[in-house]
Amino acid sequence: MGAAPGPGATGGGFGRLLVTVYGILAFAATGRSAYQVATKLDEAPAAYLLSLLAAAVYVVATIALARGGRGRWRAVAWCAVLVEAVGVVVVGVLSVVVPELFVEATVWSAFGQGYGYVPLVLPFIGLWWLWHTRPGQHAPVTAPDEPTEAR
Amino acid sequence: MVLPLFVLAVALCVALAGWAAWFAARDRAVILRQLFGAGAVEAVLVLQAVVAGVLQVRGHDVDGALFWGYLLTAALLLPIAAVWAFAERSRWSSVVLCVASLTVAFLQWRLWIIWGAS
Repeated sequence: MGAAPGPGATGGGFGRLLVTVYGILAFAATGRSAYQVATKLDEAPAAYLLSLLAAAVYVVATIALARGGRGRWRAVAWCAVLVEAVGVVVVGVLSVVVPELFVEATVWSAFGQGYGYVPLVLPFIGLWWLWHTRPGQHAPVTAPDEPTEAR
Repeated sequence: MVLPLFVLAVALCVALAGWAAWFAARDRAVILRQLFGAGAVEAVLVLQAVVAGVLQVRGHDVDGALFWGYLLTAALLLPIAAVWAFAERSRWSSVVLCVASLTVAFLQWRLWIIWGAS
């Protein structure tokens, strides 16, 4: 996989779980929106296409986080997770204030209620994790006091 | 008629999730034997696919795209998650397997509802 946990890695340790949950959400959102677009696009084109877009962003975020968040992938991950955070809040507020805008549910409607609010919580955990694993913040793992013996 | 197959799958998933949770609590990573457990779940899913396919051909009315989409998702989820979990050698490995197993159990519940909906 090449995503060995280390300084700046986003796919290891707790990141393993984060990528897993992202992957499951990406799977669920992609499957559901593909089904909606394929079978009943004419009923609510805007909502279903928005769902498809959201699903694509989850896929990108999953891959970027799994790649270990190094270099360009880290920038991609930041963008994808930020888009999700903004998307779920904006669409969430809109779907409550102007419900007639979203007659058909999207991933982000009512703050991701249809997915157990996971879409609301996940981007903020993602942002925290990207911040937490930012490069250049980690001290060497080996003990600083006693010199470690060479193996 | 296929209820036992759903119950069996959910029971195996919950057992596997419990096993993985126990490992996570004890700060251990996923072991090979747990992957065999995931393989047992997969075997039941394949059996479900065969039985569902036969019953559908015989005239059971079900939203095909929805049912097969869910079943395919459930079948793909565990192998991918298992590989992903196995590559990590910390307790998070076990947490990943636990979450994946519970997700498959949830998908089974959805599948049961979709199967009986029409």
